[in-house]
Amino acid sequence: MFWILALVLIASAIWCITAVKPVYSVVALLLHFAALAFTYITLNAEFLGVIQIIVYSGAILILFLFVIALLSSGVAPFTVGPDKLPRVAVPGIGVIVIALGFLTYAISRADAKVGAALAPPGTADVFGSVADFGKALFTTYLLPFEITALLLMVAVIGVIVLAGDQTPYLPSSKQAADVRRTMRESILRGGGE
Amino acid sequence: MAVPLINYISLSAVIFFIGMTGVIVRRNPLIMLMSIELMFNAANLLFMASARAWVNNAGHIFAFLVITVAAAEAAIGLAIVVTVFRTAKHVDVDDVALLKG
Amino acid sequence: MGVDGRYPLLLAVWLLPLAGAIINWTFGPQLKSFAAWLGSAALGLAFVATVLSWSNGLGAGAHQSLGSWIPGFNFGLLLDPLSLLWALIITGVGFLIHVYSIGYMHGDKAIARFFAYMNFFVFAMLTLVLSDNFVGLLVGWGLVGLASYFLIGFWFFKPSAVAAARKAFVINVAGDVGIMFAIFAIVASVHSISFGDVFAFATAGHFSNTALFVICLGLFIGAAAKSAQVPLHTWLPDAMEGPTPVSALIHAATMVTAGVYLVARCAPLWSMNSNAQLLVGTIGALTALTGAILGCAQWDIKRILAYSTMSQIGYMIMGVGVGAYEGGVAHFFTHAFFKAQLFLAAGIVIHALSNEQDVRRMGGLRKKLPFAFYAILTGVLAISGIPGFSGFFSKDRVIFGALEHGHPIMSAVGILTAGITTYYMWRLLFVTFLGSYRGDVDPSDLGIRHPELAGQPLNAHDSHVSAGPEGHGFGVSQIPMYVPVGILMIPTVLIGLLMYGGENSPWNHFFAQEFPHPALAAPALNETMIGIITLVVVLIGIGIAYMRYATATAKQNAVERLRDESIHMPSVLTHAFYFDSALDLLFVRTTQLLGTFFGRVLDPHVIDGAVRESAISAQWLGALVRSFQTGLLRAYAFLFVLGVAAFVAYYALVSGGMH
Repeated sequence: MFWILALVLIASAIWCITAVKPVYSVVALLLHFAALAFTYITLNAEFLGVIQIIVYSGAILILFLFVIALLSSGVAPFTVGPDKLPRVAVPGIGVIVIALGFLTYAISRADAKVGAALAPPGTADVFGSVADFGKALFTTYLLPFEITALLLMVAVIGVIVLAGDQTPYLPSSKQAADVRRTMRESILRGGGE
Repeated sequence: MAVPLINYISLSAVIFFIGMTGVIVRRNPLIMLMSIELMFNAANLLFMASARAWVNNAGHIFAFLVITVAAAEAAIGLAIVVTVFRTAKHVDVDDVALLKG
Repeated sequence: MGVDGRYPLLLAVWLLPLAGAIINWTFGPQLKSFAAWLGSAALGLAFVATVLSWSNGLGAGAHQSLGSWIPGFNFGLLLDPLSLLWALIITGVGFLIHVYSIGYMHGDKAIARFFAYMNFFVFAMLTLVLSDNFVGLLVGWGLVGLASYFLIGFWFFKPSAVAAARKAFVINVAGDVGIMFAIFAIVASVHSISFGDVFAFATAGHFSNTALFVICLGLFIGAAAKSAQVPLHTWLPDAMEGPTPVSALIHAATMVTAGVYLVARCAPLWSMNSNAQLLVGTIGALTALTGAILGCAQWDIKRILAYSTMSQIGYMIMGVGVGAYEGGVAHFFTHAFFKAQLFLAAGIVIHALSNEQDVRRMGGLRKKLPFAFYAILTGVLAISGIPGFSGFFSKDRVIFGALEHGHPIMSAVGILTAGITTYYMWRLLFVTFLGSYRGDVDPSDLGIRHPELAGQPLNAHDSHVSAGPEGHGFGVSQIPMYVPVGILMIPTVLIGLLMYGGENSPWNHFFAQEFPHPALAAPALNETMIGIITLVVVLIGIGIAYMRYATATAKQNAVERLRDESIHMPSVLTHAFYFDSALDLLFVRTTQLLGTFFGRVLDPHVIDGAVRESAISAQWLGALVRSFQTGLLRAYAFLFVLGVAAFVAYYALVSGGMH
């Protein structure tokens, strides 16, 4: 089981980064996330598997699609010219591989095995169940939870400031309507230039 | 059946590396962001696997937090991409090398 | 050494010339030609004071302290027989030469400056001989070198004079270094600079042999430079660029004898070390011979006399070197008189012929300038060592002294040199004064290759003499020139009588307490026999000169003979045994090469290059770092990853990783 999932994960990841059109990358990523959710479930983490699908596939990828749509409104292709590595990457790739190898080695000195006998999924209050997760989240890790909420609020505000409507406040609604019409037209036209 | 943890560690490393390659090689900012998401997920996979290996749900919690942060970061990253490339003809990260020199 | 006390006369002797110099320097333009009389008067008074100090200087001598600087460095003036003798010559002959200069330099625009320099020279020379310590002597030594530089280059618009002055000064300074090192060694051992302390130290035997030899060597290097001994002699012939009175005073009678004074003064040092004595004696003998040989090849009247000076000083050095102190000093005494007289008389000739100095263009002057003829004849007789004249006694002493102290070869060289000396001095006499006047003969017929260089008129010297050998009569400017020459003839002839009598002569009594007298074995030949041998050689020399230049046929064919001799002169002689070339190659060229190397190679490429390289490397480093700032997002991302990789590697390797 593990090997099938591993294969799917790797293949979809490679497809994601090598796809020519961004939409294909999104689809590949969707497949990747699905496989990942399945992996989580095999690891007795049902709650997180579901969360993975809801948040990642359902929200983030949709967001990506929206932005692709926004930026693709032009006629010209998305990127021109071949992608190539920055010059400085050439000697460093080896270093990174080695580093990752070290990390792997270091971590692997634990001889743990995954998949020892546990209660089947669905049982309440066992490892990986929603109840167990919820208890931990709201007692031991309450503070990180609250801070995460704050973080999300900051993210929303940031997005609005960055990419939001830049219309200045105008006294008459007619002028406001004019401005809005102009902006809509420019968007539909495919952005300046 | 019991899968040795090393398998999950290696898998996580490989996916991380793939994601990293995507960030460095691709010039489309959206693909770069997606590759970053891949890297996040690789880390998450490792957390989950370790949580299962040592029967400790701290790994679950942490993975949950990672997902949240990744979502926030993706949102903001996309907002930046939209802002920078809203009026550009081609979406190419190499064109915003204004810090050169 | 010397009886301590206050001696105002001694101070007067020392300081009067300085006063004269300062006044002439400061008020020169106002004084104009009165400066000449002032300078001469200053020196005359100094001479009088020296004579009055006669009794003080006998025996142990008089010592006037001038103060102390640091312990062991006490300065003062010492008047003992040796310095008294030198002071008498300096002030006496100096005074006569000053009077002569009143006439010779008459009309020169810078006459005040001349007399200022001359007085300054006398002051410096007196400092040298009157000091009772090595440092005072060195101060005087340096100052006379400076005065010589001033005076040789007096006519500074002549490039040859400037070059000669520079050459003299540089060679002198080279000698100064030798003396300085000797003084360093002395102070290091004795911790005092005064002669008394040092000589007591030496005679008590506290110097090691090598230390003493090194000290003597250093002192002698200075003496050789100052007294124009081989190989530091090359400046003396060129020093004839200065006015004739300068040549007479400085380069015949006084400054060049400073080396002789030094060796004589440090007699206790030399007497303790026979190696040093051998060195000095050998150099002296060698110089005497070299000077004599080169004198036979010269055509400029002053250069003949210059080489003759070099040769005679070689005799003096040889004498004081081997330990015959009375003999060497005696020769100095007589030489001062007859050489000054020769130079001054030559000056009369030059002056009368509108600055012509080449003897080939002279001739037949016996009838035209009789006074000059007899003056030079007297001098030539003295220098030849004809019995009865002063030179005979002193030269004899030196030659016999060398034999007495165990140096027969030096004696033989001395005798040979006497013969050669006679030859070229009589050659000078015959060519200049006999035959017929050759001034209107075409120079190239006489073998002169560069006629434009001979006897060029001097710009600042308003030539008030008319061309031709008739001179311009007996004008006012002539008397001051004739009187000193006449006065000098007397000691030239007679002063030798002081030395008559060997051990019991007045001369030896004068110096009884001054010099060490070691017991000597009687040599093979006694003094009389030496005298006879020398006389024979001298007569042979005169004979050869007579045959070549003074016979009737020689006088008739003078022009052809002179031309032949000029053309066939061996180049080794015309180039003065290539000493000049050798020194030029060794020192001047190497210094120039060194300078070129430093200036063209080291400075621009190495030193400036290092500075430039540091700038360039800073730029290069900047460029290198700048290449990281690509502005590419992806490159930055990659660098993040590199950083993380490094972190991970560290964590995994060093801290043992997670377990």
